[in-house]
Amino acid sequence: MSKYMVITNNPLVRSRLDDTHEVIYLELSYEELLKVVRDRIYEGHRLLTHPLSGSVKPKETPYKSVLISERKEKVDGESVRLIENAILVCQKFQDKSKYYKEEVYKDFQLVDWTLLESGLASADVW
Amino acid sequence: MRLEMGNIYIKDIQFADTSKIEDGILYVDKGAVKAVALEDEHIKTVTFDIAKPGESVRITPVKDVIEPRVKVEGKGGVFPGIISKVDTVGSGKTYALKGMAVVTAGRIVGFQEGIIDMTGPGADYTPFSKTLNLVMVCEPVEGIKQHEYEKAVRFAGFRVAAYIGELARNLTPDETKVYETCGIKEGITQYPNLPRVAYVQMLQSQGLLHDTYVYGVDAKKTLPTILSPTEIMDGAIVSGNCVSACDKNPTYVHENNPVVHDLFEEHGKTLNFVCQIITNENVYLADKERSSDWTAKLCKMLDLDGVIVSQEGFGNPDTDLIMNCKKIEAEGIKTVIITDEYAGRDGKSQSLADADVAADAVVTGGNANEVVILPKLDKVIGTLDYVTKIAGASEDTLREDGSLEVELQVITGATNETGFNKLSAR
Repeated sequence: MSKYMVITNNPLVRSRLDDTHEVIYLELSYEELLKVVRDRIYEGHRLLTHPLSGSVKPKETPYKSVLISERKEKVDGESVRLIENAILVCQKFQDKSKYYKEEVYKDFQLVDWTLLESGLASADVW
Repeated sequence: MRLEMGNIYIKDIQFADTSKIEDGILYVDKGAVKAVALEDEHIKTVTFDIAKPGESVRITPVKDVIEPRVKVEGKGGVFPGIISKVDTVGSGKTYALKGMAVVTAGRIVGFQEGIIDMTGPGADYTPFSKTLNLVMVCEPVEGIKQHEYEKAVRFAGFRVAAYIGELARNLTPDETKVYETCGIKEGITQYPNLPRVAYVQMLQSQGLLHDTYVYGVDAKKTLPTILSPTEIMDGAIVSGNCVSACDKNPTYVHENNPVVHDLFEEHGKTLNFVCQIITNENVYLADKERSSDWTAKLCKMLDLDGVIVSQEGFGNPDTDLIMNCKKIEAEGIKTVIITDEYAGRDGKSQSLADADVAADAVVTGGNANEVVILPKLDKVIGTLDYVTKIAGASEDTLREDGSLEVELQVITGATNETGFNKLSAR
């Protein structure tokens, strides 16, 4: 059993990992997804990848994938700080994520996947 | 390590039958550079164009900007691990073509980045409106994956830059500057009363269009290490990233890193410039812990008194920046950080995604959310098709009169975090 879970709103991540990983796929906005991650962190999961990974800004890309620990422990203060800051950052960007042509969403999905993939490569070392 | 840098000033670029540099004019044989670019089977076509300062030209989407150089004496060659073998560079003699750049442009993904305006208000915000630009727009073969295309364009840019640089091999430089660092023991003996200072450079290392390469190695797979600052002048660090172009370091910035140059200016006068330390900005949080631990450890082992840390990007790297700053400060080493800000369009929001009281000496490259209007220009090199998909742009970016309303983050180099541009805040 894997030691981490993927929380994502990116259908590409779901299709790539669904058979092999524990994936929680949610059709939510970028910010709503971060709030789901935050709730999990308050339940005792640890944040394993940075919630603001990537240079495509929140609400410009609609997609976000985050790794959290599978196991619940004592609430991790550092994870709380990072996710709360990320949600605050999110709020200052204007929402442009609905304005793109279809093929651009595929590119957003791909870039989100490669960001997550680099995190998976590190996570799988453990 | 001692490097003699010979600067050759380019006053003009013209297309011609033969490639050569004569009296400061770069003549480019289009057929020859095309052949160099098309050596990679992943590139179907390439077009070359020249953009000069003051012309009504907009270049977009920009991928990389490269200053052509050639190694004329000493070990190795330019862009080690990419164009040349992996020999350690940074000693001997290198010539640089000043006042010009090779610019790679073209669509890799649909929200592509980077605008360089050669005139108008946009030109004030990018350092690359002041260079004579040889622009290459590459189109990929059908069915190619974005990863392969990104790599093909990246390498094509370096091949063309190396080809242009080679034209200078037998020229006499207009000026020569010598950059020299000493060994640890030598530095302590030679400058016993000067503070020992190093430069910690953080490199983008997150994924597709978010990567940096050191001697050809993907920076996300490296541990923090020490460089002689002269190594970067031979292209030891190159860019593989361009998303949110305002605060990314094109290869040109790595070659001409102003933190390195300014520290060399003060070396032996007010400080002892010990070395450059490079570290990464990975997505995985344990990688961040490990890298910042190692960076602080290296600073401690080098008995440093002061460190300047430069960031590349925003958000995820803010955490690396603060970790580096906290841990280096905790070793009793005074630390200054260089960053930029995403403070909202009105500049009133929290600037960074992370903070700590240890970060009490901060230099900023400006607010990337600031809005500017870029008037319509006569010519576009590349395409405007994707300009509304650029980070910081919105659906109404392209206005009726053809002007663009954008945030600074779309402009290549606008809020550079090595201090390569002119923006800041007090």
